[in-house]
Amino acid sequence: MAREKLLGPLGESHARVDAPDKVTGATRYPGDIALPGQLWMKTLYAHRAHARIKRLDVARAEQTEGVVKVFTARDVPINEFGLIAFDAPVLAGDVVRWIGEKVALVVAETEQQARQALDLIEVEYEDLPALTDPREAMKVGAPVIHPHYANNVLKHVPIRKGDVERGFAESDVIVEGAYYTPMQEHAYLQPEAGLAYLDEEGRVTVQVAGQWTHEDQHQIAHALGLPDERVRVIYPAIGGAFGGREDMSVQIILALAVWRLDQMGIHRPVKTIWSREESILGHHKRHQMWIRAKWGAKRDGRLLAAEVEVIADAGPYAYTSTKVLGNAAVTCTGPYFWPHARVDAYAVVTNNIPAGAFRGFGAPQGHFAAEQQMNKLAKRLGMDPVELRLKNVLREGALTTTQTPLPGGVVALPQVVQVCARAAGWKATSTERHVADENLPQGSTSTRQPLATGYGFACAFKNIGFSFGFPEGASAAIELHGGTRVERAVLKIAGAEVGQGGHTVFMQMAAEALGLPLAQIELVASDTATSGDFGSASASRSTFFAGNAIRGTAAAALQKWRDEERPAIAIYRYQPPATENFDAATGRARPNIAYGYVAQVVEVEVDTETGQIRLKRVWCADDVGKAINPQLIEGQIEGGVVQALGYAITENFVTRDGHVLTPYFSNYLIPGVLDVPERIESLILEFPDSEGPWGARGMAEMPFIPLAPAITAAVHDATGVWFDELPLTPWKVWERLHERSYTPHS
Amino acid sequence: MRSFKYYAATSWEDAVAMLSKNAAAQVIAGGSDLLGWIKDDLNGPGAPRADLLIDIRTIPNTSYVKFDAAGGLKLGALTPLVTVAESADVLKNYPGLAKSALSPASPAIRNVGSIAGNLMQRPRCWYLRGKDFACYKKGGDFCFAVTGENQYHAILEGELCYIVHPSDTAPALIALNASAKVVGPGGAKDVALDKFFIGPRTNVLKETVLEHNELLAEISVPAPAANWKSAFIKVTQRDVYDFAVVSVAVAGQIEGGVWKDGRVVLGGVAPTPYRATAAEDALKGQKIDEKSARNAGDLTLVKARPMSQNAYKVDIAKNLIARAVLSLASA
Repeated sequence: MAREKLLGPLGESHARVDAPDKVTGATRYPGDIALPGQLWMKTLYAHRAHARIKRLDVARAEQTEGVVKVFTARDVPINEFGLIAFDAPVLAGDVVRWIGEKVALVVAETEQQARQALDLIEVEYEDLPALTDPREAMKVGAPVIHPHYANNVLKHVPIRKGDVERGFAESDVIVEGAYYTPMQEHAYLQPEAGLAYLDEEGRVTVQVAGQWTHEDQHQIAHALGLPDERVRVIYPAIGGAFGGREDMSVQIILALAVWRLDQMGIHRPVKTIWSREESILGHHKRHQMWIRAKWGAKRDGRLLAAEVEVIADAGPYAYTSTKVLGNAAVTCTGPYFWPHARVDAYAVVTNNIPAGAFRGFGAPQGHFAAEQQMNKLAKRLGMDPVELRLKNVLREGALTTTQTPLPGGVVALPQVVQVCARAAGWKATSTERHVADENLPQGSTSTRQPLATGYGFACAFKNIGFSFGFPEGASAAIELHGGTRVERAVLKIAGAEVGQGGHTVFMQMAAEALGLPLAQIELVASDTATSGDFGSASASRSTFFAGNAIRGTAAAALQKWRDEERPAIAIYRYQPPATENFDAATGRARPNIAYGYVAQVVEVEVDTETGQIRLKRVWCADDVGKAINPQLIEGQIEGGVVQALGYAITENFVTRDGHVLTPYFSNYLIPGVLDVPERIESLILEFPDSEGPWGARGMAEMPFIPLAPAITAAVHDATGVWFDELPLTPWKVWERLHERSYTPHS
Repeated sequence: MRSFKYYAATSWEDAVAMLSKNAAAQVIAGGSDLLGWIKDDLNGPGAPRADLLIDIRTIPNTSYVKFDAAGGLKLGALTPLVTVAESADVLKNYPGLAKSALSPASPAIRNVGSIAGNLMQRPRCWYLRGKDFACYKKGGDFCFAVTGENQYHAILEGELCYIVHPSDTAPALIALNASAKVVGPGGAKDVALDKFFIGPRTNVLKETVLEHNELLAEISVPAPAANWKSAFIKVTQRDVYDFAVVSVAVAGQIEGGVWKDGRVVLGGVAPTPYRATAAEDALKGQKIDEKSARNAGDLTLVKARPMSQNAYKVDIAKNLIARAVLSLASA
């Protein structure tokens, strides 16, 4: 349905502009870049969940052959960083609060020398009690982990709408549940790496893979005590991000090393590459959350009252936890209309790995609880889950739990629900299978049996862009070169190509806005020295913000062209309507600029003897507003589904006392080629957003969000058992299916 | 990665002599396990650091698959898993072995990983492989799995240490009554493969009978008797690139649907490949049907002592034995 407008650059599945170089291996990622005379840096991590540093002696390490310098906390001018609060040390000086805390940096002639000098750094620790369960950490009287956060509570979001007690009293049925969603590792292809040097203008320059050049620049400058313009951040190719590069990894430590060496009279670049294990230990994870929900409804299916408590494990520092928590608070009651709602969401400080941004940003956790509740309610009422959704989904003008309507444009929740159900052949009556079976493969080659098949449904909504009063915006510049006619146009924009196809879409939109063929557009991207602040490549916001920035810039550039400026150069910053933070008492807010809407049907096969679950087929209906590049949208849907499949079934991130037991891809199991579904049906809907460029909404996170609860619904359909905890590892599934007890060995 | 010295061996005798001279030497073949092990930077009596790697790929004539109907199968120690899996002789005469050689890891690793390396690889226990845990195998005095995560650990024969042996080809070869040619300072000797692996009670610091200066040079499998059939089934959490939660290899002489003789061996359930003699004894002389197959599985797992999180493996092992035995009757 997205394919009618194939004439212009918009709506066309143009091949990725970065594809030829990536396919042929010409593309250079940060780890591939080398400069003459470069030094190597290795990091000493604490490997302790909570401890006081009693003594730190780097003398022996500094005397080792090849070692140029060892840096510690004393070398950091302003020893703090953080995206929403400067609450984390660049290098720990007194206390370490998680295992990946950085204690020292060794810079040496070779990587091997730097590596070996790490062993010679002497650190004496006094272990402190490690708090690794947020439910314990938030109890009154628990030891305080971080001086900024009393009672270890980083943030509490209350939402109050209507009168929940009255709502429960008027309800015919009550459904209660307790849910757990686990940490998740981003597992991007490219582990963290970077190269720092002073550029020709003397700026501390870092080439690195990130998501937000100007935020990296700002945090580096803050720690070094420099004005922002003395720091330059460049993103060469980025090997995936998924939110995992939104916070600092190697950015500040590389800049620090180069800056300090320069002050010592050593003018040499510094490079570092993290191993996969360092990557897994060193960057934040998806928040694990514990969610309790009590929902009341009338017999006809109308939702009346929801009471939900969300406890999110933030780790020791804020990172983006308050924002993730806000999203979980908004989404834990699902995309439904509620007369009465009471939500209390807490982000709690612990000694686990910090938690932060990850595709979906709190919405997968919130929706797992919400959609489980909804599917249980449908079962309780004897009602078709699709019909129950259609009765309750938010529509235009309806007030959300934060007492404001969803933003302008079509609220396409009924449409995604109906289109998805229809495409999957969902049948309402319980005597028939939910899904038409004509496409089932004939004769299974699997050795697994006996197999039970089930179908599940879930839907979701999520915001586009940064929320809760953040001053959103995106800058772009366009240069039009030529004489009587525009011969070429240069688009300068900082937005990151993290593998999603962003740069291709930017160029398509520039071609459309300028009325030029794509071949005449040149892109200069992801360099703080050439572009203004674009914001982050996250929150499903790149297309939305880039499109609006490009449209405004193109209009200004064309005006200058008509005014006969040559070259015609325009700079423009798009600023969307302002959003609001939660009211401290009621949570009332207009939190978001725009939303995306999604629904999924899944088919699973459960091996009741082994507890293994196979995801067979997925139908995903996604309202994208306007499909700028349909093939890239399909890529996002397929990628999102597979990543969510890992979240739901195979990826088990295990820690013990704050230590990670699964720092390897041999025991942290991301889905492999044989694990992906046999079919993923992408159903692209185009109901325009009134603020979106050409009506486009963001969509990159949406396909991830409903998959886990759709799978648990399908497993229930197959086996009659509800699973309220992710991931659905074989031993958990088997245990619940058998409820047989063996005497555990002690 | 920590640096090490490298030595290219020219003969088995040369490699043995180098090992005898260097206590901190380790042998590298395909390296797919060893290099990861070194990168993990583990240390301790059962996880010694290597100062010197002795490369045995440089020894001539160590990669081969030889078969003749009378003498059986000979596999050179350095034969890549892919070569074993794709050998027409192996596929025809030992289908269970072929399947077991096709199941580890990924094509890239099967192209470099050797058959001997698959037998000699170290266990995957998270605590053993975790730098921060001083467990028994690393010379500590604690097994973290007992009170911790043990969903992949032993349900049979664990004591002190509850590792499971990770090899897929070991159960298949033991089911086929294979033997290992071991070379050492005193020359070569044959060791039956079902006596090759040792449990933690015998020595918690290693998993095989090999001494530091002994090497596994060749694997021999007897010629298949008439009506001899074999099979291998592996259950994993992920469908690719994963170690066995439970695997089972069966090889038996089946005549008129009756199990005359044979072996049943489990992988992933015990510190060594687990010879299910209870199943073998129960099957002897029995017609293979649902009842006898289930009985074989049930009897084997009577001895199971699951830990807090791995009782599911008991059921999987029972069911896998039944499935594998039944598959021989219908093969």
